[in-house]
Amino acid sequence: MELLSLFWIFLKVNMLSISGLASIGLLHQEVVGRWVTNEQFVQAVSFASVLPGSDALQLAMFIGLQAHGMPGAMAALLGSLLPPTVLMLALVLLLYRLRREAWISRFVEGLTPAVAVLMLYVAWKLLGGASFTLDWRTLLLGLGALVAFLFNAPPPAVLIVSGLAGIFLFK
Amino acid sequence: MTMKIANLSLLRLWARLFWTFLKVNLMTSSGPASVGLIYKEVVGKIMDEEHFVEAVGFSNVVPGSEALKLAMFIGYSAGRIGGALAALLGAILPPTVSMLIVTLAVQQFQDAPWMKGFIRGMAPALAMLVALAAWKVFYNGKRIRKRAVLLAMLCLLALFAGVMPPLVVLLAGIVGIWLFR
Repeated sequence: MELLSLFWIFLKVNMLSISGLASIGLLHQEVVGRWVTNEQFVQAVSFASVLPGSDALQLAMFIGLQAHGMPGAMAALLGSLLPPTVLMLALVLLLYRLRREAWISRFVEGLTPAVAVLMLYVAWKLLGGASFTLDWRTLLLGLGALVAFLFNAPPPAVLIVSGLAGIFLFK
Repeated sequence: MTMKIANLSLLRLWARLFWTFLKVNLMTSSGPASVGLIYKEVVGKIMDEEHFVEAVGFSNVVPGSEALKLAMFIGYSAGRIGGALAALLGAILPPTVSMLIVTLAVQQFQDAPWMKGFIRGMAPALAMLVALAAWKVFYNGKRIRKRAVLLAMLCLLALFAGVMPPLVVLLAGIVGIWLFR
Protein backbone atom coordinates (compact mmCIF):
# COMPACT_ATOMS: atom_id res chain seq x y z
CA MET A 1 0.00 0.00 0.00
CA GLU A 2 2.92 2.31 0.77
CA LEU A 3 4.23 1.73 -2.73
CA LEU A 4 0.87 2.42 -4.28
CA SER A 5 0.47 5.71 -2.44
CA LEU A 6 4.02 6.72 -3.40
CA PHE A 7 3.15 6.02 -7.02
CA TRP A 8 -0.12 7.92 -6.74
CA ILE A 9 1.39 10.97 -5.06
CA PHE A 10 4.08 11.36 -7.68
CA LEU A 11 1.58 10.75 -10.46
CA LYS A 12 -0.68 13.44 -9.02
CA VAL A 13 2.09 15.96 -8.41
CA ASN A 14 3.46 15.53 -11.93
CA MET A 15 0.00 15.84 -13.45
CA LEU A 16 -0.59 19.16 -11.71
CA SER A 17 2.67 20.98 -12.28
CA ILE A 18 4.85 21.93 -15.17
CA SER A 19 8.38 20.73 -14.59
CA GLY A 20 10.82 20.42 -11.68
CA LEU A 21 10.92 23.20 -9.12
CA ALA A 22 7.28 24.11 -9.66
CA SER A 23 6.22 20.70 -8.39
CA ILE A 24 7.69 21.11 -4.91
CA GLY A 25 4.77 23.25 -3.78
CA LEU A 26 2.51 20.25 -3.93
CA LEU A 27 5.17 17.72 -3.06
CA HIS A 28 6.12 19.37 0.23
CA GLN A 29 2.63 19.07 1.62
CA GLU A 30 2.31 15.42 0.58
CA VAL A 31 5.61 13.96 1.74
CA VAL A 32 7.08 16.06 4.58
CA GLY A 33 6.22 14.54 7.94
CA ARG A 34 5.12 11.31 6.30
CA TRP A 35 8.24 9.98 4.58
CA VAL A 36 10.88 12.66 4.95
CA THR A 37 11.71 15.40 7.43
CA ASN A 38 11.80 19.05 6.39
CA GLU A 39 15.58 18.78 6.57
CA GLN A 40 15.62 15.85 4.14
CA PHE A 41 13.28 17.75 1.86
CA VAL A 42 15.78 20.61 1.74
CA GLN A 43 18.42 18.02 0.83
CA ALA A 44 16.26 16.50 -1.91
CA VAL A 45 15.46 19.80 -3.59
CA SER A 46 19.01 21.13 -3.27
CA PHE A 47 20.59 18.01 -4.70
CA ALA A 48 18.03 17.98 -7.51
CA SER A 49 18.99 21.56 -8.37
CA VAL A 50 22.70 20.77 -8.28
CA LEU A 51 22.80 17.42 -10.07
CA PRO A 52 22.28 17.23 -13.85
CA GLY A 53 19.00 16.20 -15.45
CA SER A 54 15.30 16.31 -14.65
CA ASP A 55 14.58 17.64 -11.15
CA ALA A 56 11.27 15.80 -11.01
CA LEU A 57 12.94 12.41 -11.43
CA GLN A 58 15.59 13.27 -8.86
CA LEU A 59 12.97 14.23 -6.29
CA ALA A 60 11.16 10.96 -6.97
CA MET A 61 14.40 9.01 -6.61
CA PHE A 62 15.36 10.63 -3.30
CA ILE A 63 11.97 10.54 -1.63
CA GLY A 64 11.16 7.07 -2.95
CA LEU A 65 14.45 5.76 -1.54
CA GLN A 66 13.90 7.37 1.86
CA ALA A 67 10.35 6.08 2.05
CA HIS A 68 10.76 2.51 0.91
CA GLY A 69 14.21 1.74 -0.46
CA MET A 70 14.66 0.68 -4.06
CA PRO A 71 11.03 -0.48 -4.62
CA GLY A 72 9.88 2.90 -3.30
CA ALA A 73 12.17 4.68 -5.73
CA MET A 74 10.80 2.64 -8.64
CA ALA A 75 7.19 3.37 -7.67
CA ALA A 76 7.86 7.10 -7.33
CA LEU A 77 9.82 7.20 -10.60
CA LEU A 78 7.07 5.41 -12.50
CA GLY A 79 4.52 7.90 -11.17
CA SER A 80 6.68 10.81 -12.32
CA LEU A 81 7.40 9.31 -15.72
CA LEU A 82 3.88 8.52 -16.83
CA PRO A 83 2.23 11.97 -17.05
CA PRO A 84 4.81 13.73 -19.24
CA THR A 85 5.48 10.78 -21.53
CA VAL A 86 1.94 9.47 -22.02
CA LEU A 87 0.38 12.92 -22.38
CA MET A 88 3.09 14.10 -24.76
CA LEU A 89 2.63 11.00 -26.88
CA ALA A 90 -1.12 11.54 -26.92
CA LEU A 91 -0.57 15.15 -27.90
CA VAL A 92 1.77 14.17 -30.72
CA LEU A 93 -0.68 11.61 -32.04
CA LEU A 94 -3.82 13.71 -31.63
CA LEU A 95 -2.77 17.29 -32.07
CA TYR A 96 -1.23 16.74 -35.45
CA ARG A 97 -4.87 16.69 -36.42
CA LEU A 98 -6.45 18.88 -33.77
CA ARG A 99 -3.66 21.45 -33.36
CA ARG A 100 -3.61 23.33 -30.13
CA GLU A 101 -6.72 23.05 -28.07
CA ALA A 102 -7.39 26.50 -26.66
CA TRP A 103 -8.94 25.28 -23.42
CA ILE A 104 -5.83 23.27 -22.49
CA SER A 105 -3.61 26.32 -22.59
CA ARG A 106 -6.17 28.33 -20.61
CA PHE A 107 -6.24 25.53 -18.04
CA VAL A 108 -2.47 25.78 -17.72
CA GLU A 109 -2.71 29.56 -17.51
CA GLY A 110 -5.09 29.11 -14.61
CA LEU A 111 -2.76 26.63 -12.91
CA THR A 112 0.19 28.98 -12.85
CA PRO A 113 -0.97 31.51 -10.21
CA ALA A 114 -1.87 28.62 -7.90
CA VAL A 115 1.46 26.91 -8.48
CA ALA A 116 3.33 30.17 -7.88
CA VAL A 117 1.52 30.79 -4.59
CA LEU A 118 2.30 27.25 -3.42
CA MET A 119 5.95 27.69 -4.34
CA LEU A 120 6.19 30.88 -2.28
CA TYR A 121 4.66 29.06 0.65
CA VAL A 122 7.24 26.28 0.40
CA ALA A 123 10.06 28.81 -0.02
CA TRP A 124 8.97 30.27 3.32
CA LYS A 125 8.93 26.81 4.89
CA LEU A 126 12.39 26.00 3.57
CA LEU A 127 14.00 29.22 4.72
CA GLY A 128 15.06 27.96 8.13
CA GLY A 129 15.69 24.33 7.22
CA ALA A 130 14.70 21.78 9.87
CA SER A 131 14.72 23.98 12.95
CA PHE A 132 12.70 26.93 11.87
CA THR A 133 14.58 29.78 13.45
CA LEU A 134 15.06 33.03 11.59
CA ASP A 135 18.33 34.17 13.07
CA TRP A 136 20.85 36.54 11.51
CA ARG A 137 22.80 33.73 9.87
CA THR A 138 19.78 32.50 7.93
CA LEU A 139 18.90 36.03 6.85
CA LEU A 140 22.50 36.72 5.86
CA LEU A 141 22.74 33.60 3.70
CA GLY A 142 19.31 34.24 2.20
CA LEU A 143 20.18 37.82 1.32
CA GLY A 144 23.55 36.77 -0.11
CA ALA A 145 21.92 34.11 -2.26
CA LEU A 146 19.25 36.54 -3.48
CA VAL A 147 21.90 39.04 -4.58
CA ALA A 148 23.89 36.25 -6.28
CA PHE A 149 20.80 35.05 -8.18
CA LEU A 150 19.93 38.59 -9.27
CA PHE A 151 23.42 38.80 -10.75
CA ASN A 152 22.71 35.57 -12.64
CA ALA A 153 25.07 33.35 -10.70
CA PRO A 154 24.49 29.66 -11.54
CA PRO A 155 22.12 28.12 -8.94
CA PRO A 156 24.18 24.96 -8.26
CA ALA A 157 27.22 27.05 -7.35
CA VAL A 158 25.19 29.37 -5.10
CA LEU A 159 23.62 26.43 -3.26
CA ILE A 160 26.95 24.72 -2.65
CA VAL A 161 28.72 27.89 -1.51
CA SER A 162 25.84 28.70 0.83
CA GLY A 163 25.99 25.16 2.21
CA LEU A 164 29.73 25.38 2.79
CA ALA A 165 29.27 28.71 4.56
CA GLY A 166 26.64 27.01 6.68
CA ILE A 167 29.15 24.44 7.94
CA PHE A 168 31.10 27.27 9.55
CA LEU A 169 28.20 29.50 10.55
CA PHE A 170 26.04 26.84 12.20
CA LYS A 171 28.59 25.15 14.42
CA MET B 1 6.20 14.83 -41.69
CA THR B 2 9.34 15.40 -43.64
CA MET B 3 12.42 14.81 -41.56
CA LYS B 4 15.94 15.43 -42.60
CA ILE B 5 17.39 12.10 -41.68
CA ALA B 6 20.43 11.65 -43.83
CA ASN B 7 20.35 7.96 -44.60
CA LEU B 8 20.64 6.93 -41.00
CA SER B 9 19.86 3.33 -40.36
CA LEU B 10 17.30 2.73 -37.64
CA LEU B 11 19.81 1.47 -35.14
CA ARG B 12 22.13 4.39 -35.69
CA LEU B 13 19.24 6.82 -35.34
CA TRP B 14 18.28 5.29 -32.00
CA ALA B 15 21.87 5.36 -30.80
CA ARG B 16 22.11 8.98 -31.84
CA LEU B 17 18.91 9.95 -30.03
CA PHE B 18 20.02 8.12 -26.90
CA TRP B 19 23.44 9.76 -26.95
CA THR B 20 22.06 13.23 -27.63
CA PHE B 21 19.65 13.16 -24.71
CA LEU B 22 22.16 11.48 -22.42
CA LYS B 23 24.61 14.26 -23.15
CA VAL B 24 22.13 17.11 -22.76
CA ASN B 25 20.83 15.72 -19.47
CA LEU B 26 24.35 15.29 -18.16
CA MET B 27 25.28 18.85 -18.96
CA THR B 28 22.29 20.83 -17.69
CA SER B 29 20.25 20.70 -14.53
CA SER B 30 17.01 20.56 -16.52
CA GLY B 31 14.72 23.46 -17.32
CA PRO B 32 15.08 26.24 -19.86
CA ALA B 33 18.84 25.86 -20.17
CA SER B 34 18.41 22.40 -21.63
CA VAL B 35 16.14 23.68 -24.39
CA GLY B 36 18.94 25.75 -25.89
CA LEU B 37 21.32 22.84 -25.74
CA ILE B 38 18.85 20.41 -27.29
CA TYR B 39 18.25 22.93 -30.06
CA LYS B 40 21.93 22.94 -30.93
CA GLU B 41 22.15 19.16 -30.87
CA VAL B 42 18.96 18.36 -32.70
CA VAL B 43 17.95 21.03 -35.21
CA GLY B 44 19.36 20.38 -38.66
CA LYS B 45 20.57 16.97 -37.61
CA ILE B 46 17.55 15.01 -36.47
CA MET B 47 14.65 17.39 -37.04
CA ASP B 48 13.94 20.75 -38.65
CA GLU B 49 13.42 24.00 -36.80
CA GLU B 50 9.68 24.19 -37.30
CA HIS B 51 9.11 20.88 -35.56
CA PHE B 52 11.44 21.84 -32.75
CA VAL B 53 9.52 25.03 -32.04
CA GLU B 54 6.35 22.95 -32.03
CA ALA B 55 7.91 20.53 -29.53
CA VAL B 56 8.77 23.35 -27.12
CA GLY B 57 5.30 24.85 -27.54
CA PHE B 58 3.63 21.53 -26.77
CA SER B 59 5.82 20.89 -23.78
CA ASN B 60 4.58 24.12 -22.20
CA VAL B 61 1.05 22.80 -22.33
CA VAL B 62 1.60 19.29 -20.99
CA PRO B 63 2.31 18.74 -17.29
CA GLY B 64 5.44 16.99 -15.99
CA SER B 65 9.18 17.11 -16.43
CA GLU B 66 10.33 19.27 -19.34
CA ALA B 67 13.30 17.07 -20.24
CA LEU B 68 11.06 14.03 -20.59
CA LYS B 69 8.49 15.83 -22.71
CA LEU B 70 11.11 17.04 -25.16
CA ALA B 71 12.70 13.58 -25.32
CA MET B 72 9.31 12.07 -26.00
CA PHE B 73 8.34 14.50 -28.71
CA ILE B 74 11.67 14.70 -30.50
CA GLY B 75 12.36 10.98 -30.17
CA TYR B 76 8.94 10.08 -31.52
CA SER B 77 9.07 12.59 -34.37
CA ALA B 78 12.47 11.34 -35.47
CA GLY B 79 12.12 7.62 -34.91
CA ARG B 80 8.60 6.68 -33.82
CA ILE B 81 8.22 4.57 -30.66
CA GLY B 82 11.74 3.14 -30.83
CA GLY B 83 13.17 6.63 -31.15
CA ALA B 84 11.03 7.89 -28.27
CA LEU B 85 12.21 5.08 -26.00
CA ALA B 86 15.87 5.64 -26.92
CA ALA B 87 15.60 9.38 -26.23
CA LEU B 88 13.70 8.80 -22.98
CA LEU B 89 16.27 6.32 -21.73
CA GLY B 90 18.99 8.87 -22.41
CA ALA B 91 17.04 11.54 -20.50
CA ILE B 92 16.19 9.28 -17.56
CA LEU B 93 19.59 7.75 -16.79
CA PRO B 94 21.62 10.83 -15.72
CA PRO B 95 19.23 12.24 -13.09
CA THR B 96 18.24 8.89 -11.57
CA VAL B 97 21.69 7.32 -11.40
CA SER B 98 23.36 10.48 -10.06
CA MET B 99 20.66 10.97 -7.44
CA LEU B 100 20.84 7.31 -6.41
CA ILE B 101 24.58 7.54 -5.81
CA VAL B 102 24.36 10.85 -3.94
CA THR B 103 21.46 9.69 -1.77
CA LEU B 104 23.24 6.50 -0.76
CA ALA B 105 26.49 8.37 -0.12
CA VAL B 106 24.79 11.07 1.92
CA GLN B 107 23.00 8.58 4.15
CA GLN B 108 26.38 7.70 5.67
CA PHE B 109 26.85 11.28 6.85
CA GLN B 110 23.26 12.08 7.72
CA ASP B 111 24.01 12.75 11.38
CA ALA B 112 27.44 14.32 11.01
CA PRO B 113 27.50 17.88 12.44
CA TRP B 114 29.01 19.31 9.24
CA MET B 115 26.18 17.80 7.20
CA LYS B 116 23.62 19.50 9.42
CA GLY B 117 25.43 22.81 8.97
CA PHE B 118 25.66 22.25 5.22
CA ILE B 119 21.92 21.67 4.94
CA ARG B 120 21.05 24.62 7.17
CA GLY B 121 23.35 26.74 5.03
CA MET B 122 21.76 25.59 1.78
CA ALA B 123 18.22 26.10 3.02
CA PRO B 124 18.09 29.93 2.80
CA ALA B 125 19.67 29.88 -0.68
CA LEU B 126 17.20 27.23 -1.76
CA ALA B 127 14.30 29.28 -0.40
CA MET B 128 15.43 32.23 -2.53
CA LEU B 129 15.81 30.00 -5.59
CA VAL B 130 12.28 28.68 -5.14
CA ALA B 131 10.86 32.16 -4.51
CA LEU B 132 12.47 33.49 -7.70
CA ALA B 133 11.26 30.43 -9.63
CA ALA B 134 7.76 31.16 -8.30
CA TRP B 135 8.03 34.68 -9.67
CA LYS B 136 9.15 33.33 -13.05
CA VAL B 137 6.22 30.94 -13.12
CA PHE B 138 3.86 33.79 -12.37
CA TYR B 139 5.39 36.44 -14.62
CA ASN B 140 6.32 34.95 -17.96
CA GLY B 141 7.98 38.04 -19.33
CA LYS B 142 4.89 39.62 -20.83
CA ARG B 143 2.51 41.53 -18.64
CA ILE B 144 0.80 40.73 -15.39
CA ARG B 145 -2.90 40.23 -15.86
CA LYS B 146 -5.23 41.53 -13.18
CA ARG B 147 -7.13 38.28 -13.45
CA ALA B 148 -4.01 36.26 -12.66
CA VAL B 149 -3.40 38.37 -9.54
CA LEU B 150 -7.02 37.87 -8.51
CA LEU B 151 -6.69 34.13 -9.03
CA ALA B 152 -3.46 34.06 -7.00
CA MET B 153 -5.18 35.84 -4.11
CA LEU B 154 -8.13 33.47 -4.25
CA CYS B 155 -5.68 30.54 -4.12
CA LEU B 156 -3.96 32.06 -1.10
CA LEU B 157 -7.30 32.47 0.66
CA ALA B 158 -8.28 28.89 -0.17
CA LEU B 159 -4.96 27.59 1.18
CA PHE B 160 -5.35 29.55 4.43
CA ALA B 161 -8.88 28.22 4.69
CA GLY B 162 -7.40 24.74 4.69
CA VAL B 163 -8.37 23.55 1.21
CA MET B 164 -6.09 20.72 0.02
CA PRO B 165 -3.33 22.10 -2.24
CA PRO B 166 -3.89 19.66 -5.15
CA LEU B 167 -7.56 20.65 -5.16
CA VAL B 168 -6.64 24.35 -5.17
CA VAL B 169 -4.38 23.85 -8.20
CA LEU B 170 -6.98 21.81 -10.05
CA LEU B 171 -9.75 24.33 -9.34
CA ALA B 172 -7.49 27.21 -10.40
CA GLY B 173 -6.95 25.46 -13.73
CA ILE B 174 -10.67 24.96 -14.23
CA VAL B 175 -11.42 28.57 -13.30
CA GLY B 176 -8.69 29.57 -15.75
CA ILE B 177 -10.51 27.89 -18.63
CA TRP B 178 -13.25 30.50 -18.55
CA LEU B 179 -11.33 33.33 -16.85
CA PHE B 180 -8.65 33.59 -19.55
CA ARG B 181 -10.76 33.39 -22.68
